[in-house]
Amino acid sequence: MKAGSLVGRLIWLAAGWSLIALLVTGLALSAFFRQAAISRFDQGLTDVADALYAGSTIDPGGRVLAPALTDARALRAYSGKYWQIAEPAGKGLKTIQTSRSLWDSELSPPPFAVADLRPGKTVFYDAKGPVDEPLRAAALTAQLPGRKAPVVFIAAEDRTPVDRDARRFAATTATALVLLGVGLVLAVVLQVRIGLAPLFAMVREVVEVRKGKAQRLGRAYPKELAPLAGELNALLDHNQEVVERQRTHVGNLAHALKTPVSVMLSEAERHPGVLAEVVTSQAEAMRDHVEHHLRRARAAARSQGAGERTPVADVLEELTLTLERIFRDKNIVIDWRAPDDLAFLGERQDFLEIAGNVMENACKWSKGRVRAWAEPLEAAGRFKLTVEDDGPGLPPDRRDEVLKRGTRLDEAAPGSGLGLSIVDELARAYGGSLALSSSALGGLMIEIVLPRAEL
Amino acid sequence: MRILLVEDDPDLSRQLKQALTDAGYAVDHAPDGEEAQFLGDTEPYDAVVLDLGLPKIDGASVLEKWRRDGVLTPVLILTARAAWSEKVAGFDAGADDYLTKPFHTEELLARLRALVRRAAGHAAPALVCGGLRLDPRAARASVDGEPVRLTSLEYRLLHYLMMHQGRVISRTELVEHLYDQDFDRDSNTIEVFIGRVRRKVGPDRIETVRGLGYRLHPLEGETAK
Repeated sequence: MKAGSLVGRLIWLAAGWSLIALLVTGLALSAFFRQAAISRFDQGLTDVADALYAGSTIDPGGRVLAPALTDARALRAYSGKYWQIAEPAGKGLKTIQTSRSLWDSELSPPPFAVADLRPGKTVFYDAKGPVDEPLRAAALTAQLPGRKAPVVFIAAEDRTPVDRDARRFAATTATALVLLGVGLVLAVVLQVRIGLAPLFAMVREVVEVRKGKAQRLGRAYPKELAPLAGELNALLDHNQEVVERQRTHVGNLAHALKTPVSVMLSEAERHPGVLAEVVTSQAEAMRDHVEHHLRRARAAARSQGAGERTPVADVLEELTLTLERIFRDKNIVIDWRAPDDLAFLGERQDFLEIAGNVMENACKWSKGRVRAWAEPLEAAGRFKLTVEDDGPGLPPDRRDEVLKRGTRLDEAAPGSGLGLSIVDELARAYGGSLALSSSALGGLMIEIVLPRAEL
Repeated sequence: MRILLVEDDPDLSRQLKQALTDAGYAVDHAPDGEEAQFLGDTEPYDAVVLDLGLPKIDGASVLEKWRRDGVLTPVLILTARAAWSEKVAGFDAGADDYLTKPFHTEELLARLRALVRRAAGHAAPALVCGGLRLDPRAARASVDGEPVRLTSLEYRLLHYLMMHQGRVISRTELVEHLYDQDFDRDSNTIEVFIGRVRRKVGPDRIETVRGLGYRLHPLEGETAK
């Protein structure tokens, strides 16, 4: 099935149906009106024909004498109101007498066989008048006493007024029905909009979940949508669960591998020699590989659009408290700043990992001062975390190196040297970036751009 | 020097016990959380090396319980869990240092030496202002007995205010004592830190004296010492 628009389908369906119904109604109404008008008109003609018949007499010579009708219009020439008395003659009619209004012309003969005219029966038909006007005619065939042959009394009248009335009625009806149709379509549009409002509300909620403003769908939905909302929430929960399970699994694996490596390292340390050196270097390589790949697996397990909000200030404060304790012997002072309402669009663990590694790196090289601050960027949905220290800094030509896996610029500095490459990978995974430059404090300045959760 | 070693892996335990003994420590070993909890609560150790993944009771819970019970022994967490979320949780539970496996024995010994040295450091009297207490030796603060975690800058600010409690201290004076170098001397930043400290120790303890500065005083009903 073609996708299209649900609203469009509902509206087109309703509009199409209304259009057909209105069209049929309009045609039927016009037809009925026309029918009624003509039937009334015919009644008038019948009356005239009847009067002709009732008033006609036969003179002793057998000729038919028309009554003196009082209608003035029958006397005025071409007035539109005519009568004619005739008798069948062969296939046609032979005129006996006409109204004065016909002057010296005659009514056109009926469009059917004269044989159809039976005594006592009135037949109606359309005819042409002397000045080409459309006429409606009634032909009454009767037997007059004292005369063998039947006589046909024809009354005719210009039907233009009836046709005009019918046209006017049709036009008025059409206008009214078009207005009604437009009204109906508007009502349908309104109905669809209001009726489908919960669906649109759901779309908005899903968008909010993706943007990180909400964790799940929270509204109450009508019973047709409630199952969908329930399933969506279940899916979100399931996603969350899968991520958690992955992390737990990865963590367990790390734990399981690291203790044996520890044992090997420390055993080798206690028994110096060539073998110990080989074991130490290989165990260290194992440690770095395990660390790197487990962190990568963890980053990959992160579900896109899980919609979590992580307050930046909370994380920076936690890290400041932790790092100042770790580096207590160096008396590191970390000055952190972040707006209270700034939040990272993503998981807390990941932001802790990003900010933690960068700030730890700064503390490691610092002589005592570290600054970390976060600020929203003009660009929609982003913020920047800047971390700088007063350490020795890093020459520009060596900056790319630290982002490579496992590069340690100072082998003597503690740590595996994986920190910044992990940060770079995580930031990229979140569609962000990392840049290194020089700090006004003298050391390295690291700027990380990350997605911001909107309020 | 007496050390409590809490580690469930037998090989690692044996190695560490040997290394610590060689370094001149008296070592007690607890293979699970329950025994560690009991030993830490009852014996006066100089330091604890604590694994987090333990049978029976996990390491973080053991540590939290110790801190609640008032056990101040310095604790070094030794774990394979290297993620920052786990490190932060460890320090939150009351750890003094954190070392991730795999590690060099030399580094563990160095960290342990530093911990013990700090704990035995010069004694300084605690500063008290009503229910607020600041212990310069451990660099820890508490309000009505509940520990409050302060960053260095917050600690410095509160320390200075407590040293001069009852007196109005100007912003300029605070800035000068907050940063000992010529660094970010914007007096507006003081408001940020006053705000943070107020949030942690209670908003009414630090009074703003309009146009002059700030003053720390005990809450009504509390007595200053």
